[in-house]
Amino acid sequence: MSTSSEPVISDRVAESPEKLRTLLRRMMTIREFEHLGEREFRNGLIRGYYHSYAGQEAVGVGFIEAMDLTRDYIVDHYRDHGHCLAVGLDAVNIYAELFGRRAGVSKGKGGSMHMYNQEKHFLGGDGIVGGGISVATGVGLALKRMGKGGLCVCFFGDGALDTGTFHESLNMASLWDVPIVYICINNQFSMGTRLDRHSSLTQLVDRAAGYGMATEQIDGQDIGVTLAAAERIFAGVRERQRPVFIEALTYRYQGHGIHDKPHNYRTPEEEDPWIHRDPLLILGQRLIEEKIMTGEQIEAMRQEVAAELEAKVEAAKQSPAPEDRELYEDVTL
Amino acid sequence: MQLTYVEAIRLALEEEMRRDPAVFLLGEDIGVYGGAFKATAGLVDAFGPVRVMDAPLAESALVGAAIGAAYTGMRPVVEFQFMDFIACAFNQVVNFAAKSHYRWGAPVPIVLRGPAGGGVHGGPFHSQNPEMHFVHTPGLKVVEPATAVDAKGLLKSAIRDNNPVIFLEHKFLYRRVKEDVPEGEHLEPLGKARVARPGRDLSVITYGAMVPLALEAADRLAGEGLELEVLDLRTLLPLDLEGILASARRTSKVLVLHEDTRTGGLAGEITALLQEHAYDDLDGPILRLTAADTPVPFSPPLEEAFLPSAARLAESVKQLARY
Ligand SMILES: Cc1ncc(C[n+]2csc(CCOP(=O)(O)OP(=O)(O)O)c2C)c(N)n1
Repeated sequence: MSTSSEPVISDRVAESPEKLRTLLRRMMTIREFEHLGEREFRNGLIRGYYHSYAGQEAVGVGFIEAMDLTRDYIVDHYRDHGHCLAVGLDAVNIYAELFGRRAGVSKGKGGSMHMYNQEKHFLGGDGIVGGGISVATGVGLALKRMGKGGLCVCFFGDGALDTGTFHESLNMASLWDVPIVYICINNQFSMGTRLDRHSSLTQLVDRAAGYGMATEQIDGQDIGVTLAAAERIFAGVRERQRPVFIEALTYRYQGHGIHDKPHNYRTPEEEDPWIHRDPLLILGQRLIEEKIMTGEQIEAMRQEVAAELEAKVEAAKQSPAPEDRELYEDVTL
Repeated sequence: MQLTYVEAIRLALEEEMRRDPAVFLLGEDIGVYGGAFKATAGLVDAFGPVRVMDAPLAESALVGAAIGAAYTGMRPVVEFQFMDFIACAFNQVVNFAAKSHYRWGAPVPIVLRGPAGGGVHGGPFHSQNPEMHFVHTPGLKVVEPATAVDAKGLLKSAIRDNNPVIFLEHKFLYRRVKEDVPEGEHLEPLGKARVARPGRDLSVITYGAMVPLALEAADRLAGEGLELEVLDLRTLLPLDLEGILASARRTSKVLVLHEDTRTGGLAGEITALLQEHAYDDLDGPILRLTAADTPVPFSPPLEEAFLPSAARLAESVKQLARY
């Protein structure tokens, strides 16, 4: 593993056709999920805030695919719908959470930013940016003590690097040899503030390198790259019991949240090259080149996924709202 | 000039920046973006990025930086995107800002401002009312306006105050309140409550987004022959003891209403003050209506159950009126 500020060109792994199809389907599911979610927000079914994961699918899907969720754990940030789908939570329960219904992942109490599922070892989206990074330290420590080779994957955005907890936590993890893979999803913006205006260094790997851990910057658009990097890096972390910091370069297609109009602070021209390197497009082209799927089959898959999700939306709508007495439940054990 | 609550905030910032070059703004996405709720819209164009500083996502260091700048003669105003995130800066606020003057005689003229409160389905970390952490901290002032006029007048006073001021804006009111706001030198004093509606039968002592709720209930109950007085506290630390006592003596019945949770909420403090100072003037128990002692739930119907409502207020008021 290298410490470098140059993007590392990792070779794509030669995955089976079946696996590549599954990965495409999973990324499509996230894209379509957000599409329908935003529609339901506009329809008034979802209230409050909505942060879309569209554009960043190859990061979450690639890294989570390489995890062993029988022993590994995830500590997530607030932009969490995509990761919930990638760990295998049912879209019905995710939509139900967004609708504030009882069948929601967090019984309707947490909402969009606060999904959590112990069975899937998914320790939360968290609306306090940077907060989860410190929690990952303890998760990693506990996993190390258990001695089963489990590791903690901690996702966060570029904005979270500016918090104190990031720096306090990386120091501890390095000092204590904690098996954590920090994955910074660098989508170029902390809300409406561009990377070079919120971060003193724009090669974010350089901000982690000071804590004496291995770092790597990768292309976050190509799932072949993210998956290969994940498999290699996870194996190293399990073996060496040391933290690693990854900077995955990607882009947030929508505004920060559904109310945000991104063209107030960025231009369509700068979005273009990212949209041309769309993670679904890259994998789709590969499937076509490798003659695993045709363009028509890909489109048919997309329609199938969309139809499935429509049914999930409908199922989530059937879940009742929590009753008033549930307000008082779960405050303490 | 007809302004919304959030426009009144913006105007106060603009006027104070024009008046005093020592005033400057710090916060996340306050420049080109104009602030998460657009409270600083256009100010970077008017004053430039040196006085309207976009900051990294780092509340604790931001408040620390504001304190340092204040020690050195500046008057920084820090915006929190949501007041919930002031928890990240707790040490800087309660240990540094609050105690500098007592320890060293060093004034800390900073304003820490941003949206608080629920009713917009923000969920557990974007809806909280953090006032009592700070009301419990000597050395701070805590302010929460309920009207656009006060939003402007109180913010201007807060910026001119030489103490650290926690300035809580209620996000539910940002665009729902619109009224005529005086231009220019219109200041509202810190530490003074305001009678939002006079009435002889019963006092509802409240603040923030509960003021319009109380006024709505008062309108409704007036039709039933009950005249409520609504006292808008405006400043929570220091409390306007005189104003509270005067209202209690006028009506001899008090209900304290707040959106903050119950245990350790301001109602307990006001109740104690009334017991100490106005026991003989009261004709009934002091009641309180507050949010439930739970985190703020996301689910809209649960949040509705969590928050005080006009209907529940009317019920409590009628119960008290029977004494
Ligand atoms: C402590 C804290 N401060 C501010 C915010 C408001 N906020 C929410 S997301 C965000 C930007 C985060 O950017 P990044 O970490 O890069 O994540 P991304 O949005 O790119 O996924 C801000 C400022 C917050 N939620 N928590």
